[in-house]
Amino acid sequence: MSAPLPQACAAMLRRDLTLAWRRRGDLAMPVLYAVIVAVLFPFALGPDLALLQRIAGGVVLVTVLLAMLLALDGMFASDIEDGSLEQLVLAPQPLALMLGMKILAHWITTALPLLVIAPLLAGMLHLPLPAMPALLLALLLATPLLSLLGAVLVALTAGTRRSGMLLALMLLPLCVPVVIFAAGAVAAAQEGLPWFAPVAWLSAALVLAVVLSPLACAAALRIALDA
Amino acid sequence: MIALSHFLAMGGYAAYVWPAYAVFFAVLVTDNVAPRLRRRRILRELRERLARQSARARRPPSKP
Amino acid sequence: MSKWIPLWLHKLGSPPTFYRFARTVRPWAMGLALLFGVIGLYGGLVLAPPDYQQGDAYRIIFIHVPSAWMSMFVYAMMGVSGFVALVWRIKLAEVVAMESAPIGAAFTFITLVTGSLWGKPMWGTWWTWDARLTSELVLLFLYLGVIGLYHAFEDRRQGARAASFLAIIGIINVPIVHYSVDWWNTLHQGTTVNLFGHSKMPWEMLWPLLAMTLATKFYYAASLCRRAGTDILALEGGKDWVREIAQAEAGR
Repeated sequence: MSAPLPQACAAMLRRDLTLAWRRRGDLAMPVLYAVIVAVLFPFALGPDLALLQRIAGGVVLVTVLLAMLLALDGMFASDIEDGSLEQLVLAPQPLALMLGMKILAHWITTALPLLVIAPLLAGMLHLPLPAMPALLLALLLATPLLSLLGAVLVALTAGTRRSGMLLALMLLPLCVPVVIFAAGAVAAAQEGLPWFAPVAWLSAALVLAVVLSPLACAAALRIALDA
Repeated sequence: MIALSHFLAMGGYAAYVWPAYAVFFAVLVTDNVAPRLRRRRILRELRERLARQSARARRPPSKP
Repeated sequence: MSKWIPLWLHKLGSPPTFYRFARTVRPWAMGLALLFGVIGLYGGLVLAPPDYQQGDAYRIIFIHVPSAWMSMFVYAMMGVSGFVALVWRIKLAEVVAMESAPIGAAFTFITLVTGSLWGKPMWGTWWTWDARLTSELVLLFLYLGVIGLYHAFEDRRQGARAASFLAIIGIINVPIVHYSVDWWNTLHQGTTVNLFGHSKMPWEMLWPLLAMTLATKFYYAASLCRRAGTDILALEGGKDWVREIAQAEAGR
């Protein structure tokens, strides 16, 4: 007897969000990390307004990316430890869809808080106000993209000893285009140029990733857990 | 002699050309030596394992 | 005839046969690599005239360009055999994919270092964020990721399959990186470097380059034979034919 799909998806999402809420201390970690890194930059580079304005968009983007990388390692960790991921693989519901729900829950719990404080960080670094919508939109598109790409890699490392360094090494080649287009949008907005093109590319990539990444994630998980 | 030193000078670019060739050969030699050493280690470990097994087979089972 | 070739391929898939095949092929491949290497280097370093713009510094091309080609060729080989390993679960394909990775990483490393040694006198800088260079760097990271993932698994065959999956993801990624860095460069309008100013190469410069290309191809074949043979010995450690080899080489 298997639950109908929408209910199974909702149950999965609710379960992951509840689990995350019970350990809300952990949720603050990436946010705290991003704040610390962003605060350190002016101290390292000096409080020169023009310089900070120039680098603000890039610094916020890279900071958010690194903070997400920090949280990525734990995406499936607790589910592997208690064996519920193996249960999920055996469940009658399509694995890709269930993993998509898990990725969504992970994005809500890690990237959404980062998105909320991103304007604050950008303001501290004196990002010009007209560039702010571009930054937020770029982050809104880039963070789910990173969650989706990262999920495939996390699934691949599911059967290994935990190693955050390896994950970072594997993610770097994949996130180069994401960073380029997201930062490109912010830079173009700052210079008063049209920034539609990079945002359109990011959206296209996100649509592709939403479809393909859960499928790749499921395939990777089957490889990594197949003993 | 002059021809050789002229050749080694590489038209003034010796400091760039020769290190490039040195890196090329150093990396390829390393790539060649590493599996040789690995092969020797694998076979040595296998022989040690076989020796242990045959020693255990020859010894009569003793009570602890 | 039509039955004979699949049968031969099928037999080659069995580890002892492949081991013997690799042992036979390796000296020939290595010999050809050395032969073409000596010919190519003599032609490139001694016979070819200095370039009218770059002087003698261009002679780095004879190792830089073949290595760059090999870095991509080996990655393609790794991707294809990784795909075969994932779909048909052939042990030999896993071995070939995983043992190609260090060779490809070596060639990528050579490409980056020689390119930087060539760039310093020609462009006045060791490194520039050009699409070609950045893609090559990303390729090195992909190779390192594949090697790292392979060694992170306790079970080697499982590690090989996971790393093959990563290699296939990388094949999609490299053109995207190349394109996006191109776009990024036009946005920032930085120093645009014309990497290959003159595309028409005189014959006396071209033939050493082709000889070196053949040499690196044969070198890859030889190195792959040695590495794959060694890896098969490690994988098949418990089998009789490996034990015989181990005992036969005890004296040495």
